Amino acid sequence: MKSLVIAARTGFSEIRAHKTRSILSFLAIAVGAVVFINAFSAICATYERLKKQKDVSGIARLKISQNNSRLFSSPDAEYTPPPAFTYEDVLLLKRKMPGLYMVSPEARDWHDVLEYNGRRVNTNLLGVAPDWIKRDFVYTLRGRFLNWHDLENKLRVCVLIKKAPPPPGNSFEKSMFKKWNSAAAFDTLVSHNDLLGKPVKIEGVNFTVIGILEELPASKREVMVGYSNSKDVQILAPVTTLTHFGFISARNSLDVSIDTGSEQTFEESLKLIKNFLKIRFGDEDSFIIENQMELIRERTEKSVKNSLMTISLGMLAFIAGGIGIMNVTLATVFARTKEIGVRRAIGANRGDIMLQFIVEAVLLGLIGGVLGSGIGYVWNGPVRVIFGMGGGTIKPWIPLVSVLIAAFTSFAFAIYPAWVAANLKPADALRAE
Amino acid sequence: MTISCRGLTKVYEGGKSGWPALRGISFDIGPGEFAAVTGPSGCGKSTLLNIIGLLDEPSGGGYFLHGRDVVKMSDLERSDARRDGIGFVFQAFHLLNRLTALDNVCLPMMYAGAPDKAIKSRAHELLHKVGLKGKERKTPLELSGGERQRVAIARALANSPKIILADEPTGNLDSSSSREVMNMLLVLNKEGITVVMVTHDRELAALAGRNIRMMDGVIES
Repeated sequence: MKSLVIAARTGFSEIRAHKTRSILSFLAIAVGAVVFINAFSAICATYERLKKQKDVSGIARLKISQNNSRLFSSPDAEYTPPPAFTYEDVLLLKRKMPGLYMVSPEARDWHDVLEYNGRRVNTNLLGVAPDWIKRDFVYTLRGRFLNWHDLENKLRVCVLIKKAPPPPGNSFEKSMFKKWNSAAAFDTLVSHNDLLGKPVKIEGVNFTVIGILEELPASKREVMVGYSNSKDVQILAPVTTLTHFGFISARNSLDVSIDTGSEQTFEESLKLIKNFLKIRFGDEDSFIIENQMELIRERTEKSVKNSLMTISLGMLAFIAGGIGIMNVTLATVFARTKEIGVRRAIGANRGDIMLQFIVEAVLLGLIGGVLGSGIGYVWNGPVRVIFGMGGGTIKPWIPLVSVLIAAFTSFAFAIYPAWVAANLKPADALRAE
Repeated sequence: MTISCRGLTKVYEGGKSGWPALRGISFDIGPGEFAAVTGPSGCGKSTLLNIIGLLDEPSGGGYFLHGRDVVKMSDLERSDARRDGIGFVFQAFHLLNRLTALDNVCLPMMYAGAPDKAIKSRAHELLHKVGLKGKERKTPLELSGGERQRVAIARALANSPKIILADEPTGNLDSSSSREVMNMLLVLNKEGITVVMVTHDRELAALAGRNIRMMDGVIES
């Protein structure tokens, strides 16, 4: 204990006495801490996005759509249209498998003209069922969403999507955003007029706006696997209404988006759905079942791998810092050989000497770690926000861990120099100049 | 016997067969003796003192400190024996310049693990004893040569050793400081401490109770 006190006291006075050397050592370790904090912050952000992904989109997702490769490849001379998944099939599936959390058809119709108050804008339509809102719900709802009554009666009601401003990006991203944003006029119309409860015309058909979905800001809806089907959609309407009024051809097959509810029952549900298709259409190959859970899992694994890569980079940075500490400590040992001799002469044993240099190095590492953690914290918090990069995800334990790792790295890399110091013969050390 | 050497040899590495510094030295020093080791430069005086002080190991022969066989002691035991039983006074003082006089004196007691309060009061007492009252807070660089050597003596006395080894303690001092330091050593010897002093000052050597004259690694007389 006493020698620890001596070591700490000596360490501090040495650090103070050799400011340049100490500052360089701090920096070596601090860089490691900054990289490490960046790495961990990125990893935390990844996991948070994953979690959000699970909350928003669900993980046990799948999608049924027509197998287009079979569409026109009948071997017979006479063309027979392939089976289509209809609204009735959706209802039947729901009846047969009440355990499914969400089942909604998704039928698109592109480039419809919406007319309001004499203004005409370009929009995209999506025909859905009430279940749709249970997933991909990254909006706040004003008014009400579609209900089964609307669908059964093919009512001409619709829900508009009000987009949030795009996330900050570079000029290229901004120009790309403009290039593909065919609905800019619609967005302007919706953001400047409150259309809730108002009549609108879509391709000449009268509709009433019963609800407005306001998109949350980018930071709150950002998900890792972009599986939102509503990306390019501005208007949601009952799928039955759209079919009835000819927006969607009745002969076309519907896409069906499904959330089976939980990961545990996913495989079982998948089997049942395949069975359903087989019984209903005689041939399950007429449809493709996209296993989105697999996709989500794959992407998760990939991001975990990326995280490990990033962590190893952080570790490498620490090792580089550690080598810096080792170098400095070795130099210190040689510069203070005589002092080592004096200390040995007045009673220090090998352990005392070893402890002294290790404590000194750990002090360097601790101070450097705190410094680096501070920089890393500020960088991943306020600075990134100021530069419009979006705040990183920093948990309080990240800087703490990085300080500990900095201290441990210094400790590990100081062992050899300290061992060299401890094994100097007192008489030889005293003779050193 | 306090110090007992039997056929001590020391060969430094270098050249084909090394360079012999001590070539068979035997002598005894009893408790309370004041022995001056004299001889020309390079005759092995300092090497002998380093071996007696457990700072170096002999290449051959036997060395018994208070009857204990030093050759068989571990490094840790040697460190402890040095810390608790031997005080060093060097020609170049060998004080730690970044510490105050007081802290320099405290250091051996801290390594011995004594309680803080006892350390502080003993250090004050020792500095008072060597006549440096009021200069406790000065660093060695702010003290004169004589004062530095007195700090070194206070430090050597910190753990109440039975032996003081002085390697040319007056070599870097003017004549009046030399006399003071020598008187101090004589006083300590009167108090019962065994003193072994290496010097090539014949006048100082004459003040010691016993003279060991060395020449080329052996004792002449």
